[in-house]
Amino acid sequence: MKKSLKNNSNNIFLKDSFKGNLSKHHKDFLGTEIPEDYFVKSKLSILDKIKEEIKVEAEQPKKQMVFYMRPQFKYIAAASLVFILSLTVWLQNINNQNDFNSFNLESYALEDDVLIASLLVDESELNAFAEATLFTEVLVKAEVKEQRMDDLILNSLILDDSLLDNYIDFELVETVVL
Amino acid sequence: MSKDKVLVEKLQNPALKDSAFSELLDMYQERLYWNIRKIVHTHENADDVLQNTFIRIYKSIGNFQQKSSLHTWMYRISYNESIRFLEKNNKKKFTNIEEVSRNNLEVLFEDEYFDGNEIQQKLNIIIDNFTDKQKRVFQMKYFDDLSFRQISEILEISESTLKSTYYTCVKKIEQEILK
Repeated sequence: MKKSLKNNSNNIFLKDSFKGNLSKHHKDFLGTEIPEDYFVKSKLSILDKIKEEIKVEAEQPKKQMVFYMRPQFKYIAAASLVFILSLTVWLQNINNQNDFNSFNLESYALEDDVLIASLLVDESELNAFAEATLFTEVLVKAEVKEQRMDDLILNSLILDDSLLDNYIDFELVETVVL
Repeated sequence: MSKDKVLVEKLQNPALKDSAFSELLDMYQERLYWNIRKIVHTHENADDVLQNTFIRIYKSIGNFQQKSSLHTWMYRISYNESIRFLEKNNKKKFTNIEEVSRNNLEVLFEDEYFDGNEIQQKLNIIIDNFTDKQKRVFQMKYFDDLSFRQISEILEISESTLKSTYYTCVKKIEQEILK
């Protein structure tokens, strides 16, 4: 086969801007060739192959999907699920930690000797301890006393008038003063 | 509306798809063939890859959203198909053409559809020694006759960078050939 001489000329090598026949350009510069009428034959061959592919696809049973969701919704649903799960776990951890802290501090505050108990409390938790002590000492005890006063009044309603004075004296001294 | 857009609309219409696809083959078959041939080197391989490329185009044209031009989209498909073919044939994963070509240049010179003289062989070797980017830019511009704007769209590189890369390649080739 005759060799191309086009790029043997030093003057024209890579100077011409290429316009026109791609195959000729490749043959001239790279020496690559194609069989005669290749693109006509190739077009027919591609169209035949596509027809074959379509036929094969039509014969294959379609995959049955139990649950279909578009990809963009799949990602959103998965992300939401992960978010909800992690939020649940996080909230549970926070609650457990709070319960533990308040239980721990209240158990100290319920000690009879608050001063000794305060020595066992970490410095960073001292404010919380003080609040818990205040709560226990003042509010809880006040609540208990109020309840006992209510009981006293209810009991006094049941007692005879003759016994009432003694009862009030005794219970009042016990509940309020002691 | 551009010719490509009209063609895409026809391709996405089931009633007109087959006739439009025949038109598409007439317009782009040769361009894609030469793009593929420069990657896989031999005619036989290029023929296989060209068929696979058009089958893929036929199957995915329905999802083509025209974010890039039709030519750019098909060019990318042909490039990916070529790399996939070489990986399959070499049973190895490649990251770019550079790595692939080293193994295949000898195959090109032995191909029955290669009839290059000494200078043409030398040009093939010089191009083969370019970096991946240089090779793609030079081949697209010089052999595939794409504009810098089209190449910029395909490779996602600025036109000014492409121009400087291209002229570096031309200079290199001229120096090597004229040695």
